[in-house]
Amino acid sequence: MTRIKCTDLRGKKPDDLQKQLEDLRQELNVLRVGKVTGSGGAAKLSKIRSVRKSIARVLIVTHQTTKENLRKLYHGKKFKPKDLRPKKTRAIRRLLTRKEKSIRSAKTKRKQWAFPRRVYGVKA
Amino acid sequence: MAPKKEPAKKKETTATASASAASTASTTTTTASASVTKKAKVPTTTTGPKTGAVTSSAGSDGTKVVTKQKKEKVKTTALKAKQRAMRGNQLTRKRKIRTTPTFRRPFTLRLQRTPKYPRRSVPKRNRLDHFAIIKYPLTTESAMKKIEDNNTLVFIVNIRANKPSIKAAVKKMYDVDAEKINTLIRPDGEKKAYVRLKADHDALDVANRIGII
Repeated sequence: MTRIKCTDLRGKKPDDLQKQLEDLRQELNVLRVGKVTGSGGAAKLSKIRSVRKSIARVLIVTHQTTKENLRKLYHGKKFKPKDLRPKKTRAIRRLLTRKEKSIRSAKTKRKQWAFPRRVYGVKA
Repeated sequence: MAPKKEPAKKKETTATASASAASTASTTTTTASASVTKKAKVPTTTTGPKTGAVTSSAGSDGTKVVTKQKKEKVKTTALKAKQRAMRGNQLTRKRKIRTTPTFRRPFTLRLQRTPKYPRRSVPKRNRLDHFAIIKYPLTTESAMKKIEDNNTLVFIVNIRANKPSIKAAVKKMYDVDAEKINTLIRPDGEKKAYVRLKADHDALDVANRIGII
C-alpha cells in the first residue's frame, strides 16, 4: 500500500473518508490475526505500524474538517460551544475585556480632557 | 369593540338626520362595508344598523337606530352582570381548607431544556466500537480443541467489553450468531471470550475464513 498522505485525504468527502477508515481497520484486524497465527513474516508485521498511523491520519483529517466547518457555522454568533471559544487560561477568561477596562465615567472623561498631562521643557 | 364603533354610528345617525335619504343610505352602506372588511365580529353588529339604515331612508327611522344601539349596549351590560353573578366575583378568593399540618410543595411547571448552544461542538465518538472490542482470536492448542469439539471460537477481547457487546461485535465482524459467551480475565490482564456458535454455524469453517487454522 502506498503511503497515505494527509493532503490527499483532505480533498475527500466525509463518506469516502469513513469508508477508507473502515477498510483500514479491517486490514489492521487481519494483520493482527496474522501476527497471532505466525503467518506473514516481517513485512506483514511491519505493516501493522503503517496501518495504525494511516488510521490516525484519516481520523485527524475528518476531525479537523468537521471542526473547521463548525467554526464557520458558529462564526459571529453570540453563543458558541465551549470548545470553539478561545481557550487561553481560566484566569484570563475571567478578566475584564479591553473594552470593559477602558470605560471611563463622564466625570473622569471631562477631567482628562480639561486637565491633560502637560509636558514641559527647559529653554536652553 | 362596541364602544369604538358607537361614535362612528352616532356620526352616521347625525348625518342621516341632516343630509338627504339617498346620500345617507350610500354613506352608511359604505361605512358598514368598510367596517365589515375590518373583522368578522363586525358584520353581526353592522347588520343591525344596516337594516336600520335601509329603513332610515324613510327619515323617521333615524331614531330607531339609536334605540337599537342603546338596547345592545344595555343588553351587553346586563349580560356581563349575569355572567359575573354566575361565576362569582373573583376579586375575593376563597381560602383553601388545609386538612393536614404539613405543607407539601405543589407541582410546579418543569420545562425541558432548550440550550442556546451545545456544550460540545462535536459529540464524542464511541471508542469501544466492534473493531476495538475484538482484538484477535486465540490460536493455542486448547483453543483449537474448542473449535473442533465444542463449536466455539476463542477471542482476546477488550477488557471493558461485556458479553452482549462481544456478541454484537462478533456478529458484525464475522457474520456469525453466538449461542452463548463465557468470559474470563486472564492473569496478564486481558479478557478472554469463549464464543459458542449456534448449531447452524461451523466453527471450523469460520476459523478458516478468519485465518486461524
